[in-house]
Amino acid sequence: MARFNLYQEEFHPSPLKRTWIEFRQSHAALFGLWLFLFFILLMVLGPLLAPYDPLTQDINALLLPPAWDANGGINHLFGTDSLGRDLLSRLIYGCRVTLGISILLVFVAMLVGVAMGALAGMTKGVRSSIINHLLDSIMVIPTLLIAIIIVAILGTGLVNSMWAITLALIPQFVHTTRDFVRDELQKDYVMASRLDGAGKIYLFFNAVLPNMIEMLVVQGTMALSVAILDISALGFLNLGAQPPSPELGTMLSEGLKVAYISPLSIALPGCAIFLMVLSVNLVGDGLRSALRNRFKH
Amino acid sequence: MIRYIVRHINLMLFTLFALSVASFALAYLFPADPLVNLSGVQRLSEEEFNLLSEKYAMNESIIIQYLQYMSLLFQGDWGISFSSGLPLGDEIKRSLPASIELSAYSLVISMLVGVPLGFFAGLRHNKHTDYVLLGVSVAGYSVPVFWLALLLIMLFALQLPLFPLSGRISLLFDIPYSTGFILPDIWLSDINNKTAATINAIEHMILPTLAISVVNTAIVLRLTRSAVLDVMGSDFVQAAYSRGLTVSQVIFRHGIRNVLLRILPLLALQTSTLLTNAMIVEVIFSWPGIGNWLLQAIYQRDFPAIRAGMLAVSAFVVIVTVLIDLFARLIDPTQGAPRRGSL
Repeated sequence: MARFNLYQEEFHPSPLKRTWIEFRQSHAALFGLWLFLFFILLMVLGPLLAPYDPLTQDINALLLPPAWDANGGINHLFGTDSLGRDLLSRLIYGCRVTLGISILLVFVAMLVGVAMGALAGMTKGVRSSIINHLLDSIMVIPTLLIAIIIVAILGTGLVNSMWAITLALIPQFVHTTRDFVRDELQKDYVMASRLDGAGKIYLFFNAVLPNMIEMLVVQGTMALSVAILDISALGFLNLGAQPPSPELGTMLSEGLKVAYISPLSIALPGCAIFLMVLSVNLVGDGLRSALRNRFKH
Repeated sequence: MIRYIVRHINLMLFTLFALSVASFALAYLFPADPLVNLSGVQRLSEEEFNLLSEKYAMNESIIIQYLQYMSLLFQGDWGISFSSGLPLGDEIKRSLPASIELSAYSLVISMLVGVPLGFFAGLRHNKHTDYVLLGVSVAGYSVPVFWLALLLIMLFALQLPLFPLSGRISLLFDIPYSTGFILPDIWLSDINNKTAATINAIEHMILPTLAISVVNTAIVLRLTRSAVLDVMGSDFVQAAYSRGLTVSQVIFRHGIRNVLLRILPLLALQTSTLLTNAMIVEVIFSWPGIGNWLLQAIYQRDFPAIRAGMLAVSAFVVIVTVLIDLFARLIDPTQGAPRRGSL
């Protein structure tokens, strides 16, 4: 039944709400959001959900097939690996480690990057030019290569690879922040605020930063997908997390030894990384197009 | 224009300078003696130590040491490797082309597939084809490249033995080194069964190239699609329509050229992603490229090799990126400041 409108109700959603309305239009983005929330939930509730300890080895249950196999049991849903560790528990803990660390790294990189970018964007002259040139040169070097060099200096290990990836992520944030701050400083509202006598620090925190948050979120999702891929790649190459720890990339390289007997041990961790990155990318994509559509209206 | 070229060359030189300083600093940062890290000679005797100290000017100030290091670099003396004892310059000359070859072929494949698909998606904006292609491309660049490589091995090398598992060419063929690129090397060599060798080399190449291409194709598709949307919405296209040109005329006369111009500088930024992926895939396929070599160097804690490899790879990426960017600007000086690529 069509409802007619008696009153010309005016609907003025807040920018955030409008973004959400635009975001909701895309099924892919919503699917990505649900998937991402699922992984977040898995990360937070991991220890409660996992049926076994991820490190406990069981000699009586080596390389058990998954539950749907004729020889499999319900005790281990996805079976066990070559040391008798429950694959499902390792997978849950693996998602926890990989996603948790990646989010942490992105936050740290974002803080440092935004600070440096603001500095580069607000200053002028030789100092800014030097910062810019340095940044441009770092941007060109592949993140993985930076990570490899840092790991080579510090030695392998999860913490060292975390340092490496954080350092490798920082330049993107600096770059986008700098460009954004520069553009924003030309705008009238900043000029108005400046005419009111606002200082540089006040300008940045009260005029520029609130407008930058959306861009930072989008940039953050991009950085998050890079961070997940890089940390698992380093784990896979034996440069990051070391074998007993349930990190998805490390699990993948461990599973390689028994890939013939239990293909699931390389299929599952890889699939988890893929879905994680996919969800982050879908959310990031959806957010970006939502913001673009919002500005169009 | 000249100002632009000077600026770019300036940027490139500055970057290369920073990289060379970084690689020199690595000799001090790595946990062995700087002289050992620079020269790669371990367990020195007294005379050798004095000789090498003289060669690397270790007793002078740090700036003189750096200058000495640079002059040795330009003479082609990069030191020797801990693990193999061979000169690093030669080792890099052998392994870098292998990586470049792999990256170049996958770049060609991803252009051949990605650009037309991107056009297709862009021209059918907000229709089903667009959504499907966009969805596939998101999946494409979310795949961890090492996992994809493993899946390809499991499927096409182990389950259905269509392609060889690893390596660059069957050991039956002995290809003498001339350019470092396998296909030209085969054609330049004087072995008697060239066709068989070529087919064998291509068979070895298919799986690694495919693994790298998937991610890259997805990126090219998205770049092309957004460039198409941009171009087809711009004023000169509207003007062309208003003059009565048909859709295909507009696309072929105005669309393709402008889209390609737009994605060229963005492709330059993808060089580093491409090479990184190539480096990871090399390890899985035991492809004798720079990535495999550099990782072996890390596992064996071969510090001179890491230092030299890092310098070679990053210098290569910097030079290629700047040259492509410059080239794009030369053929189309109307473009504004280089924009960052958005997928």
